[in-house]
Amino acid sequence: MNKTVNINLANVLFHIDEGAYNKMRLYLESIKRSFANTPGSDEILADIEARIAELFHEKLANERQVITQKEVDEVITIMGQPEDYMVDEDIFEDEPRAARNEETRRVKRLYRDTELKYVAGVSSGLAHYVGVDPIWVRILWIILTIGSGGGFILLYGLLWILIPEATTTSQKLDMRGEDINISNIERKVKEGFDGVAEKVKNVDYSEVGNKVKNGGKTFFDTIGDIIMFFFKVFGKFIGIILIIAGAAAIIGMFVGMLTVGLLDVIRVPGIDFYAMVNATNTPVWLVSTFAFFALGIPFFFLLYLGLKILVTNLKSIGNIAKFSLLGLWLISIIMLTIFGIRQAAARAYSDSFEIKKELFVPSPEMPVNINLVSHKKRTNGRRRVQMDGLIIDRDSEGKEVMVLDDVDIFLEKSEDSLLRIEIIKEADGPSFDKALATAENIVYTYEVGENEIFLNDFLTTARKNKVMNQEIRVNLFIPAGTILKLSNEENYRCWRFHFDNDRNLGGCDLKDYIWKMGFDGELKCQECPEEEVEVDTDNRIRINADGIDININDEDGESFKMKINEDGVRIKAKDEEEGVDINIDNEGNKIQINAKDGDTTMKKTISKD
Amino acid sequence: MQTITKSTTKKVRHKKQKEVMNVENTKAQMRKGVLEYCILSILNGHDKYASQILSTLKDAKMLVVEGTIYPLLTRLKNAGLLNYRWEESTSGPPRKYYTLTETGKLFLKELDTTWDELRNATNLVTKNK
Repeated sequence: MNKTVNINLANVLFHIDEGAYNKMRLYLESIKRSFANTPGSDEILADIEARIAELFHEKLANERQVITQKEVDEVITIMGQPEDYMVDEDIFEDEPRAARNEETRRVKRLYRDTELKYVAGVSSGLAHYVGVDPIWVRILWIILTIGSGGGFILLYGLLWILIPEATTTSQKLDMRGEDINISNIERKVKEGFDGVAEKVKNVDYSEVGNKVKNGGKTFFDTIGDIIMFFFKVFGKFIGIILIIAGAAAIIGMFVGMLTVGLLDVIRVPGIDFYAMVNATNTPVWLVSTFAFFALGIPFFFLLYLGLKILVTNLKSIGNIAKFSLLGLWLISIIMLTIFGIRQAAARAYSDSFEIKKELFVPSPEMPVNINLVSHKKRTNGRRRVQMDGLIIDRDSEGKEVMVLDDVDIFLEKSEDSLLRIEIIKEADGPSFDKALATAENIVYTYEVGENEIFLNDFLTTARKNKVMNQEIRVNLFIPAGTILKLSNEENYRCWRFHFDNDRNLGGCDLKDYIWKMGFDGELKCQECPEEEVEVDTDNRIRINADGIDININDEDGESFKMKINEDGVRIKAKDEEEGVDINIDNEGNKIQINAKDGDTTMKKTISKD
Repeated sequence: MQTITKSTTKKVRHKKQKEVMNVENTKAQMRKGVLEYCILSILNGHDKYASQILSTLKDAKMLVVEGTIYPLLTRLKNAGLLNYRWEESTSGPPRKYYTLTETGKLFLKELDTTWDELRNATNLVTKNK
């Protein structure tokens, strides 16, 4: 059972089954394409359709019979393949040049020129397309290939697959076509408008058959044509952008993949960072290949789309290729997700390991210096490899260790007069046991001098332990009343310090001051400048060494003023007509109260006299 | 020794193939070169529609596939050598009847002379072969 379609060929109704319809449609479309640049193509097409209708009519015994693939095949055999229509062009070269040039100039198409080929004719084809000597294109290919480390070979392969070979004479002529230059583009634009104009003109007198015209349709057709024309110009622009973006991304990623893969093969000593981060022992080339497919395939389709917009005769890559690329892409995404999950699972558990130690009893008079020591200082800038917070060094036994910088220092109050240190080592792993083992393997050292503590701002661990989110938290318990000084050397990782303080300062602002551990566990700033809170020039609350100065005025003339300093206390409050003024004068040794309510006033002064 | 003979035969075969292709091409070109002349001759004196022109040409083995004729007819019409009118058909779609214009008749006359000359010249040349 087959579905049938009703078609109108030269104003005759035919029933045609679906498969046959698709075949017929493709056939007519390809003929239309081959006449695209011939004058009077609409008419030729109408004639051809009329003839096909006639042939169908002859073949069908009655009107209820349906056209099948068989009839369509027969008709195509009689009418000939699209190429047969085109061969005409070649022999009528002797037509008057001027007329020919005006109307039948060929639109240049991109083909591979296999007659001038070195590899597959891609370069010579491109050269014809842009109108330069193939040698320049070839030189460019060679330079780009060497420059990109081979990435352009991939692009060459893609073009080889996608660009059809020029086989027939007419394709060869199309390939060379007319050069694309400014005057031609200008002419194209003009022709575009002329084409639209011609269509409008044609409508009036081309009374083809029994076709009934309505004026509205032609008007909207014209507008449609104009819009389509601009869409075409815009589309080409988009196409160019898509090609550039797609090609750049694919080449970049290809080079990246090769580089990562090569580094893995060569194993540059010391900078095998991937191995330290990679907790699941997945080979790097596998990950980079999957990443290349996962990112590259969408970009390939962008590139393909761009080429398709720009080069009208581009070969289709075929459904099989499309679906296998889609499949490959899905597989890559799934595999990358699995790697990601495994990588995350390898760090799913977290455990810590604690060390506590009592240091010394600080005297309340002598400040305790807390110093941070950087890795650079500790090792005197010895030979090492560094990359993004991760440093490889050799420890005192000559073994290679990773240096990580995830160290935080917290200052808290000690319950007794002893200064204590607590070091908490933390790490992640695929289970608690493994996380704990990794945590225990963290090496963290500190030194204690006379009223001095030197803390490392880094931790080390053997390379085989891998980067497992290793962390050190140092808790320093300081007896109340102890005065503290934080070191202020170069490369000081001030943000590593955390403690409660009465100024709400963050890590990096702490180092400038001397602190004293309060009984409430909060550090009190010594010799800090007085806090100043200023609302604005008129309204202010100022607390400093001179005392307290409050001055608040609002818009309705209500105000409140208070000054407390070594001279005494002065408070003034005013609310429209009511007001009160209290003055405690230190020098005059008197207390004065003035109050006012409308017309009545009250005055009272208390003095030692 | 062996390899040398092999390569030469390969070359010869390759050459032959090229020649065969050229012959086909030339044949087609010869046939199509006179196609315009034939169409004009068929229409001389009688108006005909496409299928009639086609059947005459096909009987004379001037045409292999029908599609070729349509661009030609349009070209001749655009050049002012042909004209056409629509006529209803009792069986099937309306038909386009082609007719020679005055220019077409003059053109045909000139072609007749040229063809006679060409035929004589060709006969002369090919006989002396």
